[in-house]
Amino acid sequence: MIGFELSDDQKQIQALARNFVKDNVTPVAAQHDRDETYPATVVEAAHEVGLLNVSVPEAVGGLGLSMLDEAIIGEEFGYGCMGIYTILMASELGIMPLLLAATPEQQQRFLAPLVEGPRLAAFALSEPNNGSDAGGLRTRAVFDGDEIVITGTKTWISNGGVADFSVVFASFDPALKHKGTVAVVVELDRPGLSTNKLHGKLGQRASPTYEMVFDDVRVPISNMLGQQGDGFKIAMRTLDKTRIPVAAGAVGVLRRALDESSKYANEREAFGRPIGQFQAIQFKLANMKIALETARLQTWYAAWLADNDKPHAEAAAIAKAYASDSAFDAAQEAINVFGGYGYMNEYPVEKLMRDVKLNQIYEGTNEIQRVVIARHVLQ
Amino acid sequence: MILLVTTAPGGNLPKSARELVTVARQLAGGGPVAAAVIGPESAASQMAEYVPQVYSLSAAELEPARAEAVTAAVQQVAAQAGATTVLMAANRLGQSVAPRVAVRLNAALLEDVIKVSGTAGAYEAVRYSYLSRVTETVRTVGGDATVITVKPNVFPVADAQPGGSVTSVAPQLDATATRVQVGQRSAATGGRVKLEEAGVVVGGGRGFGSAEAFAQVVEPMADALNAGVASTRAVVDAGWRPYAEQVGQTGKSVAPELYIALGISGAVQHLSGMNRSKVIVAINKDADAPIFRIVDYGVVGDVNQVGPALTEAIKAAKGS
Amino acid sequence: MKLITVLKQVPDAEARIRAGSGGVDLDGVTFVIDGMDEYGVEEAIRLREAGNDVEIVALALGPARYEEAIRTALALGADRAIHVETDTDLDPISQARVLAQVVHHEGADMVLVGGKQADWDSAALGPALAEVLGWPHSDWTTKLELAGANVTVEHDTDDGHESLTMPLPAVITTQQGLNEPRYPTLPNIMKAKRKELAKRSLDEFGAGSGLTQIVDQQIQTRERLGKMVEGDPATAAAELVRLLQNEAKVL
Repeated sequence: MIGFELSDDQKQIQALARNFVKDNVTPVAAQHDRDETYPATVVEAAHEVGLLNVSVPEAVGGLGLSMLDEAIIGEEFGYGCMGIYTILMASELGIMPLLLAATPEQQQRFLAPLVEGPRLAAFALSEPNNGSDAGGLRTRAVFDGDEIVITGTKTWISNGGVADFSVVFASFDPALKHKGTVAVVVELDRPGLSTNKLHGKLGQRASPTYEMVFDDVRVPISNMLGQQGDGFKIAMRTLDKTRIPVAAGAVGVLRRALDESSKYANEREAFGRPIGQFQAIQFKLANMKIALETARLQTWYAAWLADNDKPHAEAAAIAKAYASDSAFDAAQEAINVFGGYGYMNEYPVEKLMRDVKLNQIYEGTNEIQRVVIARHVLQ
Repeated sequence: MILLVTTAPGGNLPKSARELVTVARQLAGGGPVAAAVIGPESAASQMAEYVPQVYSLSAAELEPARAEAVTAAVQQVAAQAGATTVLMAANRLGQSVAPRVAVRLNAALLEDVIKVSGTAGAYEAVRYSYLSRVTETVRTVGGDATVITVKPNVFPVADAQPGGSVTSVAPQLDATATRVQVGQRSAATGGRVKLEEAGVVVGGGRGFGSAEAFAQVVEPMADALNAGVASTRAVVDAGWRPYAEQVGQTGKSVAPELYIALGISGAVQHLSGMNRSKVIVAINKDADAPIFRIVDYGVVGDVNQVGPALTEAIKAAKGS
Repeated sequence: MKLITVLKQVPDAEARIRAGSGGVDLDGVTFVIDGMDEYGVEEAIRLREAGNDVEIVALALGPARYEEAIRTALALGADRAIHVETDTDLDPISQARVLAQVVHHEGADMVLVGGKQADWDSAALGPALAEVLGWPHSDWTTKLELAGANVTVEHDTDDGHESLTMPLPAVITTQQGLNEPRYPTLPNIMKAKRKELAKRSLDEFGAGSGLTQIVDQQIQTRERLGKMVEGDPATAAAELVRLLQNEAKVL
């Protein structure tokens, strides 16, 4: 039957993440957002307490935590700063293709180092001309003897320029469309690979996002995940799972929007009483709460399905679309609760809206999520 | 028989000792009250102005006071006096010794009480719990005796009732009672009004930014008000102020008429040491600081500016 | 060397305490390991990290929900734990008599426990435990050093600080300033799952029903005015003084 209780160690993980975020993330979030600087000390500290790269399997020295554990951690980090969480989340995103398709030797080679220091992975799928149409990749992969040569440009790649490696999706035969694709692990120090940090993002500005240029970058064929032709499939199966932490981060933002708004509603007075006594404000808070409870449950449900090897693509798409849309709405309503003060960056709510807007876009736009859901409905 | 126990730092009876007399008389309801004074004979003579039977414990092994030695001495005097109720002030020493005495006498322990009534074997007391947020009523339901520690500065000091007699007691202290060796001791820096007895207290926290800024603002204000100076744990840990000023869960508990909190954020551990003050004023630059939830009057501002302005205004009002 | 750290689980300091029908209502309250006890666990771990051969046993007496706090101690670094599980609310003196039996049976060299419990606001457990065991104790300890068969400590007194040297075994009560507790790292949280958590029943110890009983609890309500005074420093100061003189009448 259904149980909704977290286990003892899940409660401890939650407490650890919550305290960690309170002490290490929340105090520095606004400054990294303002300056677009990379929070290296936070990433190091996260590594030291074991919150970084938690999905690395036990067999290669990691914790092998479940999707539900990741969702619990993700909500806590999302509460503190969605931008900083994306750094951790994007690293897990880079790890997932290896969990799905790497050989034991590849897992040892690429994943073991990720738990030895504050090191990151990245997932390089999007291109300047190619986002949602993941089958239409323009980055070329040429098989040359025992090497693969990669040419092309990727963009919007979180962690791209600071990760030890990126999982790059390329096409070796455009005529075969998505069956002509391949997933290849490319280490950052390969000659021919250059990265440019992108500036000017609306939000999640602590998360370093890159354009990555591959100029005849050669990697050994042993860096390929799965077989030739598996690339698209690996990408899709990865995103089916990793949209769950995106949802979890959005749930964290939702909770933050609600907490900040309800605190303000108890303190700010108008017409002789706290504004929380007016229905206009109460309804906003109630709507945030409705969304928070339901988004979290759907996220945990999707995580449970994934952890129990049940079909989870639809549930994960529902969680991601619903949580990010609701979180964005909650964040912009939070600004309304704060009124003029909500519009100022000295108050924390405008950042919530700027940050969580991206949750509606990356890892499969919410439009694509709806395509996925409709497909399941109509089949 | 009710026996109160006190030390006598500097050879004088502390204010807490005379508060204990009030409690003892209340509980005795006319019956016999005795006192044990650990310190010089002169202090025992002072106690004889309040209590009919005084036991003087001036043995060298009791100075400085060590928990096991004092415990053994108290047990002996209690036996000699036939006491089934033992009172001590709930200061550091009292809180260290009373539980040990309770175990020895197979007694029930009522800790840090603000009210107490009843008779031996059936006492009822009121005390605080949950970091001073809850008031609880506790009853003794067992034990051969009762040990009660009394919260300082709650009960009034007793009026003298001269004519008591002093008996010297030489405690039998074996090797166990004296096995703890005392090394270096550091005492409080004196001068100012004693914190626990001050009617007005000015407290400072980390909001000042430095020890100098703290002193420059807090001390003149305390002078102008003839107030005691309090510090948060953070400030004492940072080495800005002496331990004797610390107020909070792990420091002193104060309840003055007026507590002015400067640059104090209001962590619940500090609040538990001062939230019973009659009037609380706070100045802090963070409008969200938790301290503002428990103030009567608050000012959001820089303590280094509002503080001196307040001191000037106080001086002007007092005509000094 | 065997170290026993005694711990409790108490409401989170930020939790809103409510009262209902004469007692404190802990429904929905978040519980944490008592911060004071954490310093004891941390100190035990530091003694191990300093190269001493130590076994650290976490010991708790309380209801089932204490398990979370015990698991935290295991995640911090205790080797195993003993939980004397009971819903009975025992006073500190009676608890000391129960815990002393476990300590004695374990043959421990040192017991570490928080200086003051954040729910009872009691400082009695440590000294009472020491007395039942027949051991010396140091309360409000801010520094601890092993010195052969002795332990040298610095602790707070009514006036300031004092250094003490006492023979082991001893009871040390702990507080802020002794050390800086670490986070339980995620790997340690996972390892803690496999550590032994032995359950005992209170009946095994002949505790009786206690020496004191709480008969009523009320939230201390103190209505505060919550008046915020506005204006530049000079204006605010003048208004504040006026209020304190004329309204509050404390100046």
